[in-house]
Amino acid sequence: MIFFQKTKKYWLVLGALVLTWVLLRHDAVIYQQPVGQVVHETARLTQKTTDEHGNTDKVYSQRLTIKLLNRNRTVTLSNQYTDSQTVTHRYHVGDQLLLDGTRQLRILSLKRDATIGVLLVLLVSLLLLFVKWRATGWLLLSLIINIILFVVALVIDINVKNANVLLIFVILAVLVAFSSLALVLGRTLQMAVTLASTLLATLLAMILMLVSLKVTANEGVHFETMSYVTQVPTTLFIAQTIIGVLGAVMDESADIVAALFGMRREKIAHHFKDYWHAGMNVGRDIMGTLVNVLFMIFIAETMPMVFLMLRNGNNWPYILDQIMNLGILQTVVSGIGIVIAVPVTSALVALIVKHQQVVKP
Amino acid sequence: MNAIGLLILILFMLMIFVGGNQGLKVFFGLLINFIVIFILMILINWQFNPYIVTAVISIVILAIAIYLGSDNQAVANTAFQTSLIVVAILMIIAIVAQHFGQFQGFSTENSEELEGLSLNVGLSFSHVAMVVMVISLLGAVAEAAMAIIADLNEVIDRTPDMTSNSLYAHSRIIGGQILGTAINTLFFGVLGANLPLLIWFIRLKYSLAMFMNAKVLMMEVVTMLLGMLGILLSIWVASWLVVRQFVKHKKVGIK
Repeated sequence: MIFFQKTKKYWLVLGALVLTWVLLRHDAVIYQQPVGQVVHETARLTQKTTDEHGNTDKVYSQRLTIKLLNRNRTVTLSNQYTDSQTVTHRYHVGDQLLLDGTRQLRILSLKRDATIGVLLVLLVSLLLLFVKWRATGWLLLSLIINIILFVVALVIDINVKNANVLLIFVILAVLVAFSSLALVLGRTLQMAVTLASTLLATLLAMILMLVSLKVTANEGVHFETMSYVTQVPTTLFIAQTIIGVLGAVMDESADIVAALFGMRREKIAHHFKDYWHAGMNVGRDIMGTLVNVLFMIFIAETMPMVFLMLRNGNNWPYILDQIMNLGILQTVVSGIGIVIAVPVTSALVALIVKHQQVVKP
Repeated sequence: MNAIGLLILILFMLMIFVGGNQGLKVFFGLLINFIVIFILMILINWQFNPYIVTAVISIVILAIAIYLGSDNQAVANTAFQTSLIVVAILMIIAIVAQHFGQFQGFSTENSEELEGLSLNVGLSFSHVAMVVMVISLLGAVAEAAMAIIADLNEVIDRTPDMTSNSLYAHSRIIGGQILGTAINTLFFGVLGANLPLLIWFIRLKYSLAMFMNAKVLMMEVVTMLLGMLGILLSIWVASWLVVRQFVKHKKVGIK
C-alpha cells in the first residue's frame, strides 16, 4: 500500500497513457472517411524478386478482412507488400486503417493518432511531474503560439499570389523569437539584448551564406534536389535555414546573456574586457554541443534516401552530392550561425552593460 | 571553388577564432561524427543487426560530442553517463513507437524522387525508421545533459554550504529554464528541416485526418516528441546523478 502511495504520481501517468490509447483507438466516429480495423489477415508469398543490383526481396500478397468502425460493414481488401516495406505496408490484425472511397474502398493510411497521442501525453505528463504546472504551462503556451504563428505564415505563403517568401519567413522568425523570449524572460532589458543578438547572429550567418553562394555561383549546391518542393527551392532553403538556426542561436544567446547579467548583478565585472572574456568562455563551452543538435537532425533526415540510393548501386560521391548535399549545407550554415553568435552576443552585452553603468553610476 | 567547401572553411576559421584550441576540438569532433555516421550507414546497409549497430554507434557519437565538446572532465563524465541512460530508455520507446506507428519507408508524396529506383531492395526500412529516430535525438540529449550539469556544478562551487535538498531545489529551477530553451532549439530545428513538407501538406489541402495520421508527417512529429522526451529525461537523470554524487562527496568529506 505504501508502495502505491509513494509512486502514486507514476501510476497516474500510466493511467493517463492507457486512457489516451483507449480513447484514440475508439475515435473512429469523429472521422468522416471510413475507418476500419483489421480482424483477419492471410498472407502468401507470391514472388521472390532480384533487381538489377542483385538485391533480393520477397513480395507477399495479403488478404485483409476489415471491420469498418464507423460504417456498418465488413470488407475484404487485398494488399501487396515486400519484406523491405519501402513504399508498401504489411498490416497486422488489430491495425486500424483510414480508408477512402464509397463502394470500392482502398487503403489510404494506417491510423497513427493513438501512437502519437500516447507519446504526446507521456511528454506532457512527465513535464508536469518534473517542472511545476506554471512553468509547463508557459512552455506549452510558447510552443502553441509558435505553431500558430507558423501556420499563419504558411497559409499566407501559400494563398498570396507572388508572395515574397523570404520576407514572410523573416518576419515570422522575428515574431517567433520575440514571443519565445518574451514568455521566458518577460519584457526586460535582458530579453531585448538576447533578441537583438539572436537576430544579428542569424542575419550575419545568412549574409555569409548568401555571399559564399554568390562568389562561387552556387557551385556544388543542388537546390533542385530538395524534397517536397512546391515553390522556388532556393528561397525555401534560405527560409528553413533561418528557422533552423534561430532556435539554436536563441538558446546560446540566452545562456550567454543570462551569465553576463548575473555578473552585472553581483558586480564582479566592470570593464568591457571582463564581460567580453566571460561571454566568450560561456559560449565556447556550449557551441559544440549545439552544433551537434542540428547536425544530428539534418543528417538523420537524409538517411532513408541514402539507404535506398546505396541499394540502387549508387556510389558515395554521388549520394553525398545529390542526397546529403542540402543537409550538409544546412548543418554548416547553422554551425556558422551558432559560432558567430558567441562574439556577437558577448560584444553586444558588454557594450550595453558598460554604457548603462556610465549613464547611471 | 565549391560553395559548401568555402562555407566549411569559414566555419573552421570562426571556430578557431572563437574557441581557440577548444574550437579546433569541436570542429574535429563534428568531422569524426560525420565519419561515424557513414560507418553506421555502411554497417546497416551490409545487414548487420541494426539494434546492436545503432546502440554501439550512438555510444561512440555521444562520447565524441561530449568529450570533444567540453573542457571540463567532471562535467563530461556525468553528461556521458546521463546520455547513455537516457538514450537507452528512448531507444526502447522508439522501438515501441515504430512497432505501433509503422513509420517506415516512403510514401506517395515521394513518388517523384523514387522514379526509376528499385524499391524491392531487401533492406528492412522498418529498422531504418528506428535508426533515424534514435540518431536524431542524440544531439539534443547530450546538449541538455551538458548544460544542466555545468550549471549545477557552478552552483555547488559558488555556495560551499549547500545542502543536498537545496541543490535538488536548484536543479528543478535551472532544469526548467534549460528545458524551455532546449525544447525551443529542437522545435525550430525540426521545423527548419521540414518546411517544404509542411507547405506541401497545406498547399495540397490534406484533410485533417491525414494531418493526424500521414506517415511522412507523423515520422517528423515522433522524432520531435522523442527528442523533447530526451531533453526532459536528460535533465531529470542528470540532476539526480549530480545530487547523488554531491551527497557521496559530502559524506567522504565529513569522515
